[in-house]
Amino acid sequence: MRMIWNEMKKILTWRMLTFLLLVNAVLYFLLISFDIEYFPNGRPALDGYRLGIEMIEEYGVQMDEEEMLDFRRQFESRKEEANEYLQAHPEFAEAGIDDYEELVTSVWDNEERQNLHSQIMHEQQIDLFWELQERSRLIDFHDTKEMIGFEPNTLQQTRFDELLNEGKYQAYPEVVIQNFKEFIVNVGITILFSVVLLISPFILKDRTRRLLDLQYTSKIGRSLYKTKLIAGILSAGLVITVLLAFYFSLYAQNGTSPYFGLGVNAFIANLTWYDPTFLQYIWLCILAIYVIGLIFTMLAMSVSSVVPNFVTLIGIQIPLIFVMLLMGFNILLSHIISVQSPQWLVPGLYGLLGIVSVGLLIYLMRRENFRDISE
Amino acid sequence: MYECRKVIQSPIFLGLFLLFSVYNIYLIVSSSDHKEELKIVNELIDTYGRDISDTSLAQLDQDIQKEMTQLKRSAGLEFQSVHELLENMSLEEQEAYSQEQWNQIQQLAVKEMYFNTARSIDESYAEIDIQATGEGEVRMYGLSGSAAFYLLQEYEKLDKRFEELVKNGEQKQWFFAGKAYFMHSFLFQTVFRHIIIESLLLIVLATALITAYEFEQKTQLLIFSTKRGRKLMKDKFSASIAIALFTMIFLLGITLGTFFIVFDYSHVWSTSISSAFNWEYNFPYIAWWDISVGTFLWLAAGIVLAGGLLISCLTFALATVVKNSYIAFAGISLFFVAVLLLPSFMSKSSILFFITGYNLSQLLLGISNSFMGGGLTGSRNYEWLTVSCWTLIAAGICFVAYRRFTKTDIG
Amino acid sequence: MLVVKEVSKQYGDFTALRDIQLEFETGLYGLLAPNGAGKTTLIKMLATLLYPTKGEVLYNGNNIIDMDSCYRELLGYLPQHFGYYKNYSPKQYLLYLSALKGISKKEALPKIIELLDKVALGDVMNKKMKKFSGGMVQRVGIAQALLNDPKILILDEPTAGLDPKERARFRNLLTDLARSRLVIVSTHIVSDIESIANEIIMIKNQQILYKDSVETICGTLDGAVFETSMEFEQLESFRQNYVLLSEKQEYGKMIVRFIHKETPLVDWLPVQPQLEDVFLYEYRDETNGTGQ
Repeated sequence: MRMIWNEMKKILTWRMLTFLLLVNAVLYFLLISFDIEYFPNGRPALDGYRLGIEMIEEYGVQMDEEEMLDFRRQFESRKEEANEYLQAHPEFAEAGIDDYEELVTSVWDNEERQNLHSQIMHEQQIDLFWELQERSRLIDFHDTKEMIGFEPNTLQQTRFDELLNEGKYQAYPEVVIQNFKEFIVNVGITILFSVVLLISPFILKDRTRRLLDLQYTSKIGRSLYKTKLIAGILSAGLVITVLLAFYFSLYAQNGTSPYFGLGVNAFIANLTWYDPTFLQYIWLCILAIYVIGLIFTMLAMSVSSVVPNFVTLIGIQIPLIFVMLLMGFNILLSHIISVQSPQWLVPGLYGLLGIVSVGLLIYLMRRENFRDISE
Repeated sequence: MYECRKVIQSPIFLGLFLLFSVYNIYLIVSSSDHKEELKIVNELIDTYGRDISDTSLAQLDQDIQKEMTQLKRSAGLEFQSVHELLENMSLEEQEAYSQEQWNQIQQLAVKEMYFNTARSIDESYAEIDIQATGEGEVRMYGLSGSAAFYLLQEYEKLDKRFEELVKNGEQKQWFFAGKAYFMHSFLFQTVFRHIIIESLLLIVLATALITAYEFEQKTQLLIFSTKRGRKLMKDKFSASIAIALFTMIFLLGITLGTFFIVFDYSHVWSTSISSAFNWEYNFPYIAWWDISVGTFLWLAAGIVLAGGLLISCLTFALATVVKNSYIAFAGISLFFVAVLLLPSFMSKSSILFFITGYNLSQLLLGISNSFMGGGLTGSRNYEWLTVSCWTLIAAGICFVAYRRFTKTDIG
Repeated sequence: MLVVKEVSKQYGDFTALRDIQLEFETGLYGLLAPNGAGKTTLIKMLATLLYPTKGEVLYNGNNIIDMDSCYRELLGYLPQHFGYYKNYSPKQYLLYLSALKGISKKEALPKIIELLDKVALGDVMNKKMKKFSGGMVQRVGIAQALLNDPKILILDEPTAGLDPKERARFRNLLTDLARSRLVIVSTHIVSDIESIANEIIMIKNQQILYKDSVETICGTLDGAVFETSMEFEQLESFRQNYVLLSEKQEYGKMIVRFIHKETPLVDWLPVQPQLEDVFLYEYRDETNGTGQ
């Protein structure tokens, strides 16, 4: 235990921690801050967010047909309010707009109507009209709930039908889950950079500084390598935990907790193989970030155990990180249970990456036992 | 030069270079579905000349009509435009055509699209209100005070330039339709950004390797006590610059070579970059000067080279101070992103909001909008001012780092 | 106690050591050979850093590789080059190493202070090692080798970087230590061990040349070492014919020490052979290779 702690102290130096702080500050402003400062991002996102909460309060986490009817009734009564507003303002009548339907269907007919429409929506930002727009979108979506938004393959179709039969159709505004997906990928990227920068030099440094001669002739001997690996994993885990805690405490500002009980398939355009609640989904993503972070920690340590210098250490990892940024995060995190990729793909990839990284370390651990220390 | 050899003989550098080249080639080839359609522009230029005039347009119209009559006869259908024909065509009907006929229809449709766009250039350019766009930007970014004033002024200048451009007829030249193919964005944003980021990674690695080499190989005591002594850093500097230059030239060469083999630009080199066809989003590209596509390409490559060399200088300075390639690499990467973000920390009412935008990261990543008006980095002087300011800064930093190095203890 | 049994070490095609046979008991052994002769290879095998290609090393009859940590627990080792953390103080560094050696912090602390005093670093024990001179770092290295009170102490070029005063003190320390343990000192500086080693081991052509007391080894050149004086001009032709050990100037003449195994000339002065003479004589044809 004391030895692990000693090795961890070599990783988590003040210098390194300060550097990580800088990296995180920069990446936070580059990637994450947008998903927190601009949530909900303008309109109609704000209205979707509000309406979703209202729906959950009134109908719970699943809407049956009766509740849907009620939702339509509310739409109609809100429409009445809109009509009253329009009638109270004579300029609409002058432009030939008598009611809400007229307003939305004929808006592009002429410039005068366009101006009036944008007056309400953009300049005065009247909540009622934005809300109506969102309600109508949800109703449209419900009316077409038997259609998938993309060309499905058989398995995807089966999954879709299965959910539909259970009465789990997509009914709630998707702003919250979209925002979370973007947020979590950006957090994932930030954490990936943090752990890779943290862990990479560690094993190489002891080698190039010729510390092995002393370390491996002490009582603990070559099993110190294993201690170092454990220390690396623990340090990475610690950093991941601290960063996750920090970023999620910021995420808490988004006020998405009312949605936590909602099944992820209840969100519009979010068809998934499994149907956890939003909160469970968040936990799943957190777990995924740990796994990705630790896989890359192990890869970084493997690379660090074999390369001759820092430049090679960085150079070898550049393609790995590139692939991860180009597609890895999309598949492994953003669409972790989405029907977009085949059901076996994501667990398969995690398995493969896990086996490769652990396998590499086991191989290197064995090698370390029989290696001549002569550099 | 011995210093260069340290990089060239490093397998990781060559490996990465190859990997990047292969990836760029893949990127270009995999987005080349429409390369045949692009050739229609070449055909148009061959037949009707580069400049679009009323007479050449009338000629084109006639030719299209002629082909259409033929088509109507062979199809036994009545239609106003190919667009209409295609719109109303069912899958079965489509399959009734032979491959050759089908290609002909497609070609004709594309020509028609070019014709329609060309015909409406005057109309669509008349609708462009540069001042109003400027005001829109001010509102969108929430600018006020001197920042807003500055931006509006810039747009005023752009307005004058726009009038001049229209008068010159720079917009009336054939180019690949922007809204259909986004060739400008693909080349100068997607492809160039790849080249830029890849070269920067290679350059920073190579420079850090060369500069910190002796300290990492523990040969510093030996090397810096030779006759050449600490002046060796000068050699290292030249070597870094040389490697950076070669890296960029080769990467640009391989990538752009592939690009122009795949996409036939042979006829559009002298088309103005401000062509009305080079209109992809809400706003056409309006260059501050009357520059052709070819010239723009050279200028863009020039910016890449300048930017890469400057980054190499900065890396050299940092690596000289920290004597560790890992920290130098991470530090420069951090710096690159940090200056990219710099303007967003400035007050939106202050001119600093714009001044801080004159930085290398913004210049390099926004390369597709170089020399163009509009936007936050759309000032006429933006490019040369940024490059020269940063040359001064980099030179200063390098000089200080070198001076410091000549006096520092080597342990 | 420690037996090297028919050990060979090859790196690819290159043979570093061939069929080495050695036995060590309590006492001080000097391993003497020019650079590149395989000293460090042998030492590293005794320290379990290298594995023999053939043969084995036994401690009290057990293979040291199989003994694993039980062997290393008895081992104190000072490598020729060793790393340290620049930002650690000697105390921190020794604490770190004592953890690796399985010594509890409570036990280690007084031991560390005692050892640092012994190597005259007591005053700087909390200073960062960044600013240390080569000799100071070397003394920290010596201290760390003694942390676990080893039964076997292996020192590879321990006097590198030490000044004459430190060297003398170090020799005393070694004599002291060798009373109750096995101490192996590898060096190419004859004077370091000549006066204190119980036995000297010399390696030549990848094999053991001598393993004997200083007297016996010197005895091999009995009656063959001479000194004579001559004019400087004569020196060149003399060099061609005899194996020169040393030459120095005195009163305008050259005094030459050399080896001659046949009948000597009359004006030659026979002298007592020294270990250095044997060294120079045996390795006279070897060009200095690059050390490990």
